[in-house]
Amino acid sequence: MKRLITLSVLAGTTCLGLAAMTSNAAASGPTCDGGVIQLGGVSSVTGPVVFAEVPDAAKATFDQINANGGINGCKIEYTIADDKADPQVAAQAARDLIDNKGVVAMVGAGSLLECAVNAGTYADNNVMAVQGLGVDAACFASPSVSPVNVGPFTLTTAMLQFADTQLKDEKLCAFFYIAGGTAEAYTNAIKRWEQISGKTIHVLDLTLPVQGDLTAYALKARDAGCDAVLTNQVEPQIVQWINTVDAQKLEGIDWLFLAPGYSEGVASAPATSQQPIYVGTEWEPYTEASDANKDWAAAMDAAGMKKTAFTQGGYLAATIMADVIKSIDGPVTRESVTAKLKEGIEMPYSIIGSAYKFGDAPSHASMQATKVMQLKSGAWTLNTPEWVILP
Amino acid sequence: MNSLLTPAVAGLSAGGAYAILGVCAIFTYRLVAVVNFTGAAIGAAGTFVMVALTEHGMPLFPAVIIGILAGALVGVMIGGVMTKWFSGASATTKAAVTAALLVGIIALGLRLTGGQRPHLFPDLVSGSAFRFAGVEVTWGSLLTVTLAVGLTIASDLFLARTRTGLQMRALSERPMAAELIGIRVRVLALAVWGIMGAVTAFAMMIIAPLRSPDFMSLSLLVVPALAAALIGAFRSFRAALLGGVLIGIVEGMVSALEFGARFRGVVPFLVILIVLLWSQRGARWDAAR
Repeated sequence: MKRLITLSVLAGTTCLGLAAMTSNAAASGPTCDGGVIQLGGVSSVTGPVVFAEVPDAAKATFDQINANGGINGCKIEYTIADDKADPQVAAQAARDLIDNKGVVAMVGAGSLLECAVNAGTYADNNVMAVQGLGVDAACFASPSVSPVNVGPFTLTTAMLQFADTQLKDEKLCAFFYIAGGTAEAYTNAIKRWEQISGKTIHVLDLTLPVQGDLTAYALKARDAGCDAVLTNQVEPQIVQWINTVDAQKLEGIDWLFLAPGYSEGVASAPATSQQPIYVGTEWEPYTEASDANKDWAAAMDAAGMKKTAFTQGGYLAATIMADVIKSIDGPVTRESVTAKLKEGIEMPYSIIGSAYKFGDAPSHASMQATKVMQLKSGAWTLNTPEWVILP
Repeated sequence: MNSLLTPAVAGLSAGGAYAILGVCAIFTYRLVAVVNFTGAAIGAAGTFVMVALTEHGMPLFPAVIIGILAGALVGVMIGGVMTKWFSGASATTKAAVTAALLVGIIALGLRLTGGQRPHLFPDLVSGSAFRFAGVEVTWGSLLTVTLAVGLTIASDLFLARTRTGLQMRALSERPMAAELIGIRVRVLALAVWGIMGAVTAFAMMIIAPLRSPDFMSLSLLVVPALAAALIGAFRSFRAALLGGVLIGIVEGMVSALEFGARFRGVVPFLVILIVLLWSQRGARWDAAR
């Protein structure tokens, strides 16, 4: 095992699979019944908020692995289940994948509520989930789920850290919209930044409305003397927020947003704004044609898929799962995959700033790094070429 | 004092929007006897047609005109459904039908406009008119209030002073009798729906840039709008106008209070509840039952 880690660190990310193969060459390597490995994921494919690109990218990645002969001759059958953003449907879909499909693990899912609904079921059935895009708080607080993305809570801490250490802002303010049960997770994220920096948050407001006028909130930020304001809004509300601060002629405040803001829609909508706007990213920024993005970009091009942030999540989760399976000696079963994941081997990839890890902890949040993008005249530009990594 | 004045003035921009939509709701109720849940959605439809056109490079002015016409058309279509199949139904049934239609329109609208994807809403009237209590009062919010006042006066005069207005009142109160004495019921009703659609579409174009630019958020503006209409007891345009502005101001003030802010979304419902209790205050148990 030590050899595997040394090799992968030496050779970099793409060699992880190779390393697994070399070490497996002497042993039997992964084997499978009937030449098929069953994997699945419960995602919000339809509904009010859609994350279909995440599992689609995972499927495309597995298809390419299959086209190249599969893993040690085993083909991967990946089932995308739709939870329609409905808890009951999500629970049924998970049961179907576990009991009827007999999946060995969950991988590449992106859902509004899947973790909160199914994390318990996964733990009970000894099925681990390598979530492609963890959204709800349970994704980062369950023994059975380890997302491949940073997530809104760690990103909150990271963005405050960025404003503090890189923008040198003094008075940091946070305005959050609280969806069922996330208040504690966001408050803890703020507390964590306070511990890291030794400073205190200037204003923390947990009452931001999803619908409704934001003028009063923008003015509250101004009157409190905030130097930087972080919100957890999603695309349309971010546009509304920027329009509102422009209408109120606010100046001299850095506006920070989480990963949902990092989209073409946000970039093009407030095109005329001169406000300093920053967003945190989940992975190597998808708009950058960097070496770190090369493998993912090639995979998406080959699959004819759009290169969006969501597809990075699906691709990464699928790649991680394939590498885990490659490192298994013997039959690929639910037990062997779970055992392998629980070993907690650190898996570095160039598309992420900190190594991915599952392990046997009561909760997982191995992604602790972000790169910050700034909106400049309608286009996202890289503000931090180096990863902002939380200690 | 200033600490409450600032958010109160900040609430004005929302208040103007609630007022104009509330006045439109009463307009529909008094003329075609429908408590219309689709009002804001009709306006949103027209607005998104305008946005789709400007996003494809059409100049603003023709796009606005086409958007207003689209709003009128959607209004007439919904009016067509209401007059064709539900003209004889009770007020409750009609309200339930429009609520059901609202769900359908939102689903369709979200699908057609790309869900949460934000759109670039052009400012019809940009910039701020003046600064008061530390708040930039925009031309947009002034225009919505002016529009609401204008519509209030025009509707009052139209209903009280013109022959068509008289026919309209007859139509809404006794549709069957109105038809029997030879009033062209269907045409008039459809005209009301069309006018209402055009006005809300135009109002929504002014409101939209400072709201969350997705179809659902704009359509759900109907909730505070109906609260405003309720303040006017679905009769008085003036009371609805004041009520709309008031709800906006109260919302603004509440969001400045540490305790109140989390209950901000409740304000319209609270207003509805208080108005209902107040309007029923004279009722005895037996009589009201």
